[in-house]
Amino acid sequence: MQLKRRRRARDIGAPLAAATCALLGQSVPADVSAQELLPWDLDTSLLIYSESDGRVQDTSLSLRARKEMREEKFLGLTLAVDSLTGASPSGAVPAGVVQTFTSPSGNSQYSVAAGAQALDTSFLDTRVALTANWEMPLSRLALLSVGASLSDEYDYTHTGINANVARDFNDRNTTLSFGLALANDTIEPVGGSPVALAPMLGVGDATNKRGGQSKDVTDLLLGVTQVLNRHTIVQLNYSLSQADGYLTDPYKVLSVVDPVTGDPVLGPSGSGLYRYLYESRPETRDKQSVFALLKRDVRGDVLETSYRYMTDDWGVDSHTLELRYRWNFGAERYLQPHVRFYQQTAAEFYRTVLFDGAALPLHATADHRLGEFDGVTVGLKFGQATARGGEWWARIEYYTQTGTASPGSAVGALANYDLYPDLNALIAQFSYQFGRR
Amino acid sequence: MNGTIKRAGCIAIVAIAGLTGCAGVEPWDRDVLARPDMQLVSDPTEASADEHIYFSKEASSGGRGFGGGGCGCN
Repeated sequence: MQLKRRRRARDIGAPLAAATCALLGQSVPADVSAQELLPWDLDTSLLIYSESDGRVQDTSLSLRARKEMREEKFLGLTLAVDSLTGASPSGAVPAGVVQTFTSPSGNSQYSVAAGAQALDTSFLDTRVALTANWEMPLSRLALLSVGASLSDEYDYTHTGINANVARDFNDRNTTLSFGLALANDTIEPVGGSPVALAPMLGVGDATNKRGGQSKDVTDLLLGVTQVLNRHTIVQLNYSLSQADGYLTDPYKVLSVVDPVTGDPVLGPSGSGLYRYLYESRPETRDKQSVFALLKRDVRGDVLETSYRYMTDDWGVDSHTLELRYRWNFGAERYLQPHVRFYQQTAAEFYRTVLFDGAALPLHATADHRLGEFDGVTVGLKFGQATARGGEWWARIEYYTQTGTASPGSAVGALANYDLYPDLNALIAQFSYQFGRR
Repeated sequence: MNGTIKRAGCIAIVAIAGLTGCAGVEPWDRDVLARPDMQLVSDPTEASADEHIYFSKEASSGGRGFGGGGCGCN
């Protein structure tokens, strides 16, 4: 369904004049046809994402522009700049002693106090992302959209292309869509990419590191949208994603501990470190998901609810349920509460720790994002129309993650520690959409 | 394909079959559905920010659109 942006009443004048001229067999005055193309839509945004306990802080500026270049043909551009600072969990578990780690660059070290969560404080990055999108009708009932994406950060470059075709049926009450996206990402980790499950070494020893890596990702999307009645629309998507290549996080490690005491064991001789192994993930990942969305007008307000089920061949299954209710106070302002519930199972190779003396698994990660956890988000958004025909809005959200360590990992001293500390993050975003009058 | 996927698939097929049987809405009754706040993605700025955050923090992504990504997010 090509539900277009609603034009204001006075904008209808131009097409109406053109249609009248056509009916009367007259040529359309130049100024009338020129007025038909809307000016650039410009949305700007400032996003602040802030995790507690000095973890990740992200400030992101974005600009979104869209313009009807020719009749029914739209160009969309986005630019986003992220600035990331703070500390990221390394994957190592707390210990009863001070732990020292070699930073990813291999040039320095940092220490973590006894009993404290192992956070890598050398985390700092700037990311620039660009997308371009062209949207045009293929026929009266079909719409084509093609796009390209590019993003760059210090150690990571992404390039991607995508295409989507949507076709209306059933008097435009049903829309089927098919999309394909291809991406190629290259990773040049700071200090090199570690050999899978190789031990962390001392400063200046890079014999456990290799060069750059890459991965390819193919995404397929099949969708159906259905108008149920004058007030309700639903969408159902099936998507398949296949990733192939380097899917490991080069900065994550696992602690090797004594299987009885839970204490860290000594690392390579001369390194002065305990034993930490760089993680290892499979080189392919297939994900499938089903997504359902319902939007309903409730006496001028809007109820939006969605559910997603995802499963992959790493053993992760997840459920995501979201609910938004937009209270429209007249045409000028609205208030929108939002809740989101997320639940995922752990990847089969998720291990909070590895045990000394046990055979090494082929794959292992202690990255909490591949562990079992629940996520809850609550938020509130307020929007206000501007006198110039645009809108500004602000939202504030609070996101928490509560997870569990892998079974059997809380041995000995580790039973005293929180092996999966909660993640708490505040999300604040302000957006200004420029008027079109 | 495990049992859960099969169940999800069955629900999807039944849902599609049920929906396509709907009477539908005539073009002149689309005033409500044409409202900006009734679009499937009514605020792309908010949607892309959320997608980026949750892609960075969870093992799942996409569903509504493509899987997102394009970052070595920590």
